[in-house]
Amino acid sequence: MITPLTYTILLALADGDRHGYGIIKEIEARLGPAAAPSTGALYLALQRMENEGLVTESPALPGPDEDARRRYYRITRRGREAVRTESARLAALVETARQKKLLPRRADA
Amino acid sequence: MSANERLFRLLLRLVPESFRERHGEEMLETHRLRLRDVGDRTMSRLAFLVRESWGVLWLAVRLRTGGGRAARSARPASVQRMGMLDGMVQDVRFGARTLRRSPGYALLAVIVLALGIGASTAIFSAANAFFFRPLPFADADRLVMLYETNPEYGWTDQTAAPANFLDWREQVSAFDDVAAYSSFIDDASYVLDGEPVLLAASAVTGNFFDVLGVRAAHGRGFRWDETWAPGAGVVVLSHRVWMTHFGGDPGVVGRMYEIGGRPTQVVGVMPDGFSFPSSETELWLPWGWTPANRDEVWFRRAHFVRPIARLASEATPARAAAELDVVVERLQRAYPETNSVMGAGMMPLRDFLIRDVRRPLLILFGAVVLLLLLACANVANLTLVRGAERGREIALRHALGAGRLRVARQLLIENLLLALAGGALGIALGWAGVRALAALTQLGIDGATTIALDGRVILFTLAATLASGILFGLAPVMRATTGRIHGTIIEGGTGASAGRSGLRTVRALVTVEVTLALLLTMAAGLVMRSFLLMRSVDPGFRTEGVLAVQITAPSARYPGRDEVLAFQDRLAAALEARPDIERAGFVARLPLDGPSWSSQFQARGWPPDRIGFEILHRRADAGYFDVLEIPLVRGRMFEPRDRGDAPLVVLINETFAREHFPGEDPIGQRIAFDRAADERSTWYEIIGIVADQHQLSPGVPARAEVFEHRYQDWWRGAWVVMRTRAEPMSVLPTVRAALREIDPLVPIAEAQPLRDVWRASMAREEFILVLLGAFGVVALLLATVGVYAVTAQAARRRTREIGIRMALGARSADVITLMLRHSLVMVGAGLAAGLALSLVANRALGSVLYGIAPNDPVTTVIVVLVLSAVAAVASYVPARTATSVDPVRSLKQE
Repeated sequence: MITPLTYTILLALADGDRHGYGIIKEIEARLGPAAAPSTGALYLALQRMENEGLVTESPALPGPDEDARRRYYRITRRGREAVRTESARLAALVETARQKKLLPRRADA
Repeated sequence: MSANERLFRLLLRLVPESFRERHGEEMLETHRLRLRDVGDRTMSRLAFLVRESWGVLWLAVRLRTGGGRAARSARPASVQRMGMLDGMVQDVRFGARTLRRSPGYALLAVIVLALGIGASTAIFSAANAFFFRPLPFADADRLVMLYETNPEYGWTDQTAAPANFLDWREQVSAFDDVAAYSSFIDDASYVLDGEPVLLAASAVTGNFFDVLGVRAAHGRGFRWDETWAPGAGVVVLSHRVWMTHFGGDPGVVGRMYEIGGRPTQVVGVMPDGFSFPSSETELWLPWGWTPANRDEVWFRRAHFVRPIARLASEATPARAAAELDVVVERLQRAYPETNSVMGAGMMPLRDFLIRDVRRPLLILFGAVVLLLLLACANVANLTLVRGAERGREIALRHALGAGRLRVARQLLIENLLLALAGGALGIALGWAGVRALAALTQLGIDGATTIALDGRVILFTLAATLASGILFGLAPVMRATTGRIHGTIIEGGTGASAGRSGLRTVRALVTVEVTLALLLTMAAGLVMRSFLLMRSVDPGFRTEGVLAVQITAPSARYPGRDEVLAFQDRLAAALEARPDIERAGFVARLPLDGPSWSSQFQARGWPPDRIGFEILHRRADAGYFDVLEIPLVRGRMFEPRDRGDAPLVVLINETFAREHFPGEDPIGQRIAFDRAADERSTWYEIIGIVADQHQLSPGVPARAEVFEHRYQDWWRGAWVVMRTRAEPMSVLPTVRAALREIDPLVPIAEAQPLRDVWRASMAREEFILVLLGAFGVVALLLATVGVYAVTAQAARRRTREIGIRMALGARSADVITLMLRHSLVMVGAGLAAGLALSLVANRALGSVLYGIAPNDPVTTVIVVLVLSAVAAVASYVPARTATSVDPVRSLKQE
């Protein structure tokens, strides 16, 4: 099991390498401004996730219009596994909630 | 770097170095970008900053304790060094849980702290604006204000005569350059699309912007030679006027407009936020002197410019002052008629700008520190009273092996949590307070800086928060570390047995609270009484039902004396013809709005060494005295026959007659406004004496004043005063209509009921009163809470004893007396200490009080009575409750 913040950060990195500010922007864009952690909490989590091998510093420079001076983070294989495991666990929980009529089914489901 | 970034960087210091080395710059950059995204709304910025600061603090705590176990592996040694902080997180969590369990206590404590911290934040942000915030000029610490001094006239920081200013500028080498601006704002009438508009103009020398080191945002500032060209017609616009009247169009530079009846070219627009010398300044015009002026006597006699100098890079202020003295002495010898005793001085620009607000701000700051102390004492008290109830828990923790320090830390952390919550709420209150301060008066160094929450204010609040957390936490912590373990557990019972030593501390704290409350309510009471006294002073004229409207006859269409007088006469007639206007008159400057100008004088037949100094001048007509109901004491009023071609006449006020013609009859005397009057002087005959009017404020006695007649000393920019039959401001449309009939191109510069002028003259006193009054009320409330809490606790502790007494037949009155005796002792001690301290502290108020001494006995008696009464009620209520308990029940309770 991983913490919700770890999960959120891993999701933000799932489709590309980002620096700290980029992670914040991605979270804000997907989940709203309230979901973004404070800068302190973000870097605390990133350092921990790096130590646990969930993310790594991105070796190559990102695209031409990106800021080369910044440190970029990349999700590792282990990170992807963790997201998959956690997503499956959450999906199971959500499915249970649906069956118990705590969550309406989506219209297209 | 902005203040916000500085704060963030400062907080980052708390984070272990290894982590900071790796992530510090990245974090700062991320923070900066996010702050930019948040936008300019103060509230959302504030919320963001609080959240970010908390985030970094949390990060530091986690890294330095076991919390961020994986994250700290960047450098494990640092954690071992910080081993003392192990378990801090648990303490924080535990503290938060404990506080959640007693929300009433937590809420009360937070509110009390927020009041103290909020009030000090608001006052500090005002003080910050005046004392610390950088002035918006390049190298502002090299700028000095120059002024004239004159012992004969009692001048200490007078505006300078332009001729003297020019000599200083040319002869003092320690000044890089000296500029001069007008100390009054003039209204410049300007025509845009055929519509007349009035703008507030500041007259300046051509080097004004260069001396301040401010560059135009568009176009250019003035050049020195433009000071001298009356025909040149150039103007620099403020950013505000450029936006409101010219649509922010940069193409306006170079265009011609009619300003003050003259074609004038816009040469520049100043940057946003620059509005020196006054926040009202909308445009800058050159003085427009002629070189010939320099040799004319009036140019050295009339004192109306404010010189501001930039020190040369190698010059010290002392050298500049010495050089200035040399020049001043030279001028005294060269121009004995005007300069014989004229001195000069200089002071740093900031000192000059804050000279009027320094004292009130220091007083308010002192008061707010007392208030914060009172809040701390109050919360300490609450904590102790509650601590008494927690005595058993703490003793148990000791018994289970928790070290004294560990327990102390636990309590301290709880207090800090409370303080932080109080600080967060306090900053919100402070922000609201800042808004109120700004709205209450036009504070802010005029045109140079504004009151706002910036990084320094937030740091101050943080410091105040931490200090108060430690301060009010001290007493409970000390008790926890020295308490008796064994005794507390076996005492058992309700745990309400705080022990005698605990009660003693609480009582001491209440005494301190009463002392502080007395100081604050006393200050409020003194200021209130002084204000009421000032309000009851008769200003010497009617203030109700009078409308004053400023109307200037533009020189383009009314070039000379005859045209202006005809315009003013027609206007008066048109106004008086309206049914809701009873009578109209003219005056050059309203009373209580300061003097217009002053001079010395001699009467015909006086010896050369008899000179009347510093008489004030005002120009008016008979209508003015009629509208304001200023009685003629003796002699006669101005009459229509006193025209320009008739002998010149003046009226004087009673103070003039008393001071300058003691034992003589002034009426019929002939006077001239020169210190060496002779045949070439202009002589006036005194025809009457009118009653005094206050010229500055109701708190300043009327000074000797002379009135010239409008028909003889005519002027353009006039205040029309009208006695109205309806609410003054409701008559304004009528005035506009009447004016439009006469000349649709003349605008009304300003309109205000005379009542507002009267009130505005006491604005400073009102400002101090409102703030000190609010502090006084809060202090009274806090002291009440303190007295109530301690009596209630004592009552609870003695429930059983009271039960026994009652059961044995004691009357409830006896028991109440017994309980009241304790609180009266502690309140009495507080009052005595407060009275002793107030003897010293109140002296600081001396300069802002009117009509009473700092230790006014009436105020003292009233304040002591009010405080005693409030304290008596606060202790009677819980005592009464205690005796109303059924003896059987209270005994069973054990």
